[in-house]
Amino acid sequence: MKLQSFKVCYIVFLVLILAPVSSFGKTIPLNRGWITVIIDPVFNGEPLKMADQLYVNEHGDTIYIDLFRFYITNMRLSSESTTVSDTVSHLVDAEDEASATFHINNVPAGSYTSLQFTVGVDSITNTSGANGGDLDPAKGMYWVWNSGYIMAKLEGHSRVCKTLHHAFEFHIGGYMPPFNAARLVNVKLSHPVVVLNGCNTIVRLKADVAAWFKGNLDLSKLNSVVIPGKEANIIADNYAQMFSVE
Amino acid sequence: MRIRTLKYLLPLLAGMFILVLSLGSDKKEEEVQFVRPKGWPKPVYDLSKNKPTINGFKLGRKLFFDPILSRDGSTSCASCHTQWSAFTHVDHGLSHGINGLKGKRNSLTLFNLAWNKSFMWDGGINNLEVQPLGPITNPVEMDNTLENVVKKLDTAKGYRARFFLAFGDSGITGQRVLKAIAQFTVMFESFNSKYDKYVREEPGGEMTEQELHGLKLFRKNCASCHKEPLFTNYAFENVGLAVDTELKDYGRMAITHDPDDSLKFKVPSLRNVAMSYPYLHDGRFRTIRQVLDHYTDGIIQSPTLAKEFRKPMILTDQDKTDLIEFLKTLSDKDFLFDIRFRDWRD
Repeated sequence: MKLQSFKVCYIVFLVLILAPVSSFGKTIPLNRGWITVIIDPVFNGEPLKMADQLYVNEHGDTIYIDLFRFYITNMRLSSESTTVSDTVSHLVDAEDEASATFHINNVPAGSYTSLQFTVGVDSITNTSGANGGDLDPAKGMYWVWNSGYIMAKLEGHSRVCKTLHHAFEFHIGGYMPPFNAARLVNVKLSHPVVVLNGCNTIVRLKADVAAWFKGNLDLSKLNSVVIPGKEANIIADNYAQMFSVE
Repeated sequence: MRIRTLKYLLPLLAGMFILVLSLGSDKKEEEVQFVRPKGWPKPVYDLSKNKPTINGFKLGRKLFFDPILSRDGSTSCASCHTQWSAFTHVDHGLSHGINGLKGKRNSLTLFNLAWNKSFMWDGGINNLEVQPLGPITNPVEMDNTLENVVKKLDTAKGYRARFFLAFGDSGITGQRVLKAIAQFTVMFESFNSKYDKYVREEPGGEMTEQELHGLKLFRKNCASCHKEPLFTNYAFENVGLAVDTELKDYGRMAITHDPDDSLKFKVPSLRNVAMSYPYLHDGRFRTIRQVLDHYTDGIIQSPTLAKEFRKPMILTDQDKTDLIEFLKTLSDKDFLFDIRFRDWRD
């Protein structure tokens, strides 16, 4: 008798435990949607083409772009009542379209008015040893002799550079103050991002390479930055301004 | 007739002897338990995120001894880090790597790495797990990339199965290569020297009068930087060496760009120091006595000189001899001859 009541209890217990599990995946939680953020690499607003496409920067220098990669970390959107985020670091590579698409799942329906993310990798991640995924040091975005991530890379060539093959290379990083090259970016949204129940909302951003050459960046003099420091900080300030909503 | 039987019997006996030895040692093989010795500070390395397992340790060991890590398959970690010299490159002032090319610094010893706050003579590397990237990518050491190492391992015989055993997944990634090597090297623990037994008041720790005098001199003259029990304070100091005019190595300043760090190098641990000659960051001194002679008579004054050397260090010849006798008590045979750290070729 005692045993039987135990059995009943056990079955009830199992049902209670399993009920939510078995329904998982069948129903979509109420009032939730998704956000997909896509970042399009551009130059002066036009889709970026590598190597053979000639561009002119704001100083009148003619340049070609050979490589463009950067990390995006902790992308988050906020509405009046809530914030949703994707805390993972993603490596965006201009030559790999799939790398520039981010998904934020399970987003409460609402009107999101603020979009924020960090270009680069935070200081804790910079000191936490061998990371995986897009942060795997095998991705070629890691400095070895002075540990730390390269937050963003831009390589190309220009006649104004008196270097081998007229090349310029900007490998920008550094996590120790005052030479921290990670930049928090607030993207100005022209209108709120509206998330509806069960729907996917797409947000398209442009990452404009032209912004790297802003201000007093003189490519004939400054064409190789591959360590943390003042020069890296100047370029980091520039790339923090490269994002806009399409 | 008898001799002939012996001729056949001897190799057989030898074979059985080796078999028994290897069976006996297999038991010790299974133990990979990291120890925090009593009274030691908390390790800096977070072992909870990469706890050594027997399969991870074995994979790390295989990688440590495998020249596959180098671009041309010529150079392994063990090429410049041999166990019996406390994992340095004994008798090599500057180590040579791929194509016989020479580096600009003396290879460091490897032990008690979990307590290191940074790695390399200039402290440029910030975590045990990413340390191997230095030698792997250095053009005069292994001249490779981690990406290429992963590619080579992916097609090499036997590695996928070992990654499966170590990580529950046969996928080879840069992260796993580095984590496995760390599981091996973090186990290089040295805390069983005569000095340690003396401190713990254990058998085998009986010091001679001379060694005890050396210990007294050590605590008076050396211990502020070579702090017990790890025999380093993990700081960077300028010990008054003349700058090598060819190497032009200014040490830590290359990392921090701070002129205050000019000519500063890591304070190395003095454990197993008798086994790890030559000494100093460029291996310029072959004997401990030469180092002591420099400290008493050779210091070159400069703005970043360690404050300990601003006043002269006074040691008689006998003092130096006694000090050296004490330093020899820091050799740890349990560590130097631990069979788990040999190249098992397994």
